[in-house]
Amino acid sequence: MAFVKLNDLEIEVEDGTNVVEAARQHGIEVPHYCYHQGLSRPANCRMCLVEPHVFFPPAGAIVPDRQLATGCTTVLRTAPPDRKLDGKYDFIVRTDSERVKKARADILEFLLVHHPLDCPVCDQAGECDLQDYSHRHGHDKSRYLEVKNVPPKKDLGPDVLLYATRCVVCTRCIRFADEVSGTGELGLVHRGSHDEIDIPRSHEGVPLQVLDNKLAGNVVDICPVGALISKDFLFKSRPWFLEKANSVCSGCSVGCNITVEYKADGVYRLKPRFHEDINQHWMCDDGRLGYHYVNSDDRLQLPLKRVDDALTPTHWADALATITEKLSEIETEDIVVIGSAQGTNEDNYVLQQFAHDVLKTTQLGLFGHLPGEAHKFPQFTIEADKNPNTAGARTILGSTNGNTVLEGDALWEKVSSAKVVYLVSGAPERPLEDAEKAALESVDFLIVQDVLPSEVTQFADVVLPGTTFAEKDGTFTNSTGWVQRIRKTIDPPGEARVDWEITQQLAKQLGGEMNYHFAGEIALEIAENVPGYADATHQKIGDAGIKLADSTQ
Amino acid sequence: MSDELIQIETPFAFNEENQREFDALIGRYPVKEAAMLPTLHLAQRQAGYITPAVMKYVAEQLEVSVMKVKDVVTFYPMFFEEPVGEYVIRVCHTLPCALRDCKGVLDHLKTKLDTDVAAETNLAKGTTPDGKFTLMKVECLASCDVAPVIMVNDDLHKNLTPEKIDEIIDNL
Repeated sequence: MAFVKLNDLEIEVEDGTNVVEAARQHGIEVPHYCYHQGLSRPANCRMCLVEPHVFFPPAGAIVPDRQLATGCTTVLRTAPPDRKLDGKYDFIVRTDSERVKKARADILEFLLVHHPLDCPVCDQAGECDLQDYSHRHGHDKSRYLEVKNVPPKKDLGPDVLLYATRCVVCTRCIRFADEVSGTGELGLVHRGSHDEIDIPRSHEGVPLQVLDNKLAGNVVDICPVGALISKDFLFKSRPWFLEKANSVCSGCSVGCNITVEYKADGVYRLKPRFHEDINQHWMCDDGRLGYHYVNSDDRLQLPLKRVDDALTPTHWADALATITEKLSEIETEDIVVIGSAQGTNEDNYVLQQFAHDVLKTTQLGLFGHLPGEAHKFPQFTIEADKNPNTAGARTILGSTNGNTVLEGDALWEKVSSAKVVYLVSGAPERPLEDAEKAALESVDFLIVQDVLPSEVTQFADVVLPGTTFAEKDGTFTNSTGWVQRIRKTIDPPGEARVDWEITQQLAKQLGGEMNYHFAGEIALEIAENVPGYADATHQKIGDAGIKLADSTQ
Repeated sequence: MSDELIQIETPFAFNEENQREFDALIGRYPVKEAAMLPTLHLAQRQAGYITPAVMKYVAEQLEVSVMKVKDVVTFYPMFFEEPVGEYVIRVCHTLPCALRDCKGVLDHLKTKLDTDVAAETNLAKGTTPDGKFTLMKVECLASCDVAPVIMVNDDLHKNLTPEKIDEIIDNL
């Protein structure tokens, strides 16, 4: 640990921490553009200048160093005993001296020399480091009277636009493409004040390569200004009107930490949230842009019931009555209950409880297997399993009550001999194989709980409208054994309901004694009953998640 | 994305002689990327100017992204991304040459060659229709003691007067 005098504070920081981070840890802002925790540090924006103090022998005193230093590359370390300042400090640095303040304001004035005054129409307005730092550290006017550079707006890739006029050439995006995605599509063209970010193009402007790697969206997040813009979010909403909730991406089994940004009428965008052991600062574009189905007009909003060979909207009471009637006349061994790797641990827990307590069956299945492509980048991995909770669902469904959880061929074999199947899906895009279709077709009475019409719902006799990750609270367990929370953001559409609530309602109809009020209550019971999940209460999981003791879970 | 990716119809490759030269120079650098400038000069000498095919080839040879090559090509004014004349005439217009009337030199060349001065991103502007000359302004050629100076391809000409310029051009 280094003992540092930071302004008037005496602080201890880990060796190797830079001044920007040390200050941040103590609530002091050192403004910066080019520096990003997840990237290398070129120290080119000069915004993070701080004032180190050194011992000056002629004066026999500690004085401000002759030059200011960049806080991002000034690393704090324990000094040898004979190099301590004032006999005790490893480093003395000020971030608030008049010299520092003037340097910041002047640098900012330079950075704004060519910047347009288009904040009113800029997507970044409200979450822009240029705006924020101008407000906190800048001058209130520019002295620049010359003609501004007006580089053209450029299309960089499927989801990324460059408003080159707004760029401060911090090169975060270039370093991201070089270091994290390793795809190297971005670079600087021209020279000096004409520097522009671009993809490689011919002289006529035709691209040789576009920014289409699966991590491309991250450059929009790390752009400190409104230069790199997501086409998906462009002009959709002013960012300050968006509500935010910490959640977890449901796009694959990595379980990237995200922030869901939403308004009452739907989800507007997903942004990655830092988690050191899972996704660092990043997420992939499949996840980032994969939320659109939540807002789809096709979402199931009412229960459906098969009448004369067609699925017809009905009300909950009727749908539940139809199911109850059917279930009460069927032998236990003819019923198969299938949980979902898209569902939360809580959904699956209630489901297996329902199977065990009410239906008295131990025949459970897991509707998982949503394979896709895995992608490996130098500093990021996308998993092939496109379900967020395969690990959790498998454990929860099978861990208690002596259940056996069938998957794959064994499951479909079982299904083809069953009379009633209650299938919770939530993976509407999952294509069915022929054998699976045949199995579902042969089922006498198929209950499907899903969020959108799908290949599975086609075979259903009753369809119950469930909810997506954005509409419920709960937990997912990722492929490396991290249990993490998702949070309810928007209300489910129409009369769709949270999946475990539907199961509980069914249980009640059939005389079960289930009575959960909220997901956290179910998690408490999971903690009590499921091996390995003792710490997996919502309170303990919080925003950081917890790692299961046995990571093979 | 509205733009289509460029299709490279005629791939570029070093000829035998340049390949030998490339093999020799690559050994002089600790990492391949460091050989970027000499490799580009070599390629430009062969191809005339840096086409997308050249950039792609150089990137492959040096095991870097195409963007890294493009970055360097647009940074240095000595690399051309469009066809230039057989003779590239570079007129120094930095301070000592400016004090020794480089503007007169430039005007004389403009009249004599009947062409405008090239812009960095529009070399055609300074290229004669017969494709013989490209006239451009450059920064310091490091010969201030003999200003004003011009370079015609790789040759430096010093202490210029209109007569000297006529002689140089007429002898080409």
